[in-house]
Amino acid sequence: MKALALLAPLALIAAAWEGSVALFAISPFYLPPLRDVLGAIGANWQAYQAAFLITLLEAVVGFVAGGLVGVGSGIVFAHAPRLKQMVLPIFIVSQTVPVIAFGAIIVLWFGNTLAAKAAIAFYLTFFPVTVNTLAGMEAVDPRQIALLRSFGAGRRALLWKLLLPSALPRIFTALRLSAGLALAGAIVGEWFGAVQGVGALLLAAMFNEQIIALWAAIILAAAVGGALFALVAVIEARLLFWREEL
Amino acid sequence: MTAALRGLAGGLILLLGWEAAVRLFAIPPWILPAPSGILATTWTARAGLLPAAGMTLAEATGGYAIGAVLGILLAILLSQAAMLRRVLLPVVVIINSVPVAAYAPLALLWFGTGATSKVIMVAFIVGFTVFLNALDGLTRVDPAGIALLRSFGAGRLSILWRLRLPSALPAIAVGLRVSTVRAMIVAIVTEMLGSQLGLGWTIFEAVLQIDFLRVWAAILVASVMSLAFFGAITLLERRVVFWK
Repeated sequence: MKALALLAPLALIAAAWEGSVALFAISPFYLPPLRDVLGAIGANWQAYQAAFLITLLEAVVGFVAGGLVGVGSGIVFAHAPRLKQMVLPIFIVSQTVPVIAFGAIIVLWFGNTLAAKAAIAFYLTFFPVTVNTLAGMEAVDPRQIALLRSFGAGRRALLWKLLLPSALPRIFTALRLSAGLALAGAIVGEWFGAVQGVGALLLAAMFNEQIIALWAAIILAAAVGGALFALVAVIEARLLFWREEL
Repeated sequence: MTAALRGLAGGLILLLGWEAAVRLFAIPPWILPAPSGILATTWTARAGLLPAAGMTLAEATGGYAIGAVLGILLAILLSQAAMLRRVLLPVVVIINSVPVAAYAPLALLWFGTGATSKVIMVAFIVGFTVFLNALDGLTRVDPAGIALLRSFGAGRLSILWRLRLPSALPAIAVGLRVSTVRAMIVAIVTEMLGSQLGLGWTIFEAVLQIDFLRVWAAILVASVMSLAFFGAITLLERRVVFWK
């Protein structure tokens, strides 16, 4: 059902793309016909597949690590309000740092490795997750906490049975947002000298002024983004089974 | 008040710990320079950093203004056309799910390495963010409120002006606030790919020259600017959405 709902707008984009190129005779310098772009991907399938997998892996590693650390620090902050008041403002300020400018320094630290790109994806992921975990746990009705306590629930039971489950919808909101950010982090991380991945393909196409290859790389980036969103949606459907209509 | 003090203390501890760690373990500046070193470099390199910062700020705020206006206007238009909205919204969401970084090379090829490509990129991303937030706020209005206004004979425009827009203001404000940092980042990223002037270009050049202190100095300037931009919009938001 969800896949179908996605197919219709995709078909619409494809039709509008092909149609407007034919109708308005758009110069291929701006928009080459979609079939040429897809043809280029098909002709070089293995290279594009490899780039897809590499960038997806970089983004997923950073995204998963950032998600786990984000939930963890959200839990810690929810239990230690003083620590929260000391550290959270630093987190907030750190988010106004144009992270991508850090790309160069992170690549210097980690070399041109998977870890470098994953580190950028991590940095972009963990903050929204931290904030939403904290907000979700703080929004729990105190009467529910009191009720569980009256049944003799300890801290741990409270966390697992009430606080975290109630925070899950907000955590997933943050995860959906972060998935896109993690991908952007991985792609930009590849701009600093990487030879493989979607980011490297984008740069190569730009420098060689190959507009078809550039559009192919953009479609590839969309595919990686789609895969990341699908990953989040699958986990969400599993963990949030009690919520109808996700 | 105590919360603000604790936040300040946290920041100070971080800076002092950073400075102490660099001095104690004699960390070379190309790995991690001390805060004092970054400040000193920012001062000595100010002649180069200032025009670059001005350029980036002009691109970011210019693109921001264009994108915000277009985003809000488009959201108002689509909020009045339910059918069109149902068809177009998924398309917009898909286009928006491709990271901006992927569109940046395209903008450079099309519009060259001048300021135009950066302004267009910033306007594009800010426009999308503001549009999605504004549309969400405009369409998530209490139906009872609409029914009430209708019963008093209010037309479409009057409902839009008296009910939809005021109740969408908080959502629009969130979009505008989030967009400030994004505008700066997009301007810098696009500059890094190719430009003649700007902080992104400064960073790119300094990386090539392996002058990492200058990279940090440029990051510092960019962060201060984006914090100021964020603060200015937040202040404005408190004024306009005073009832929140």
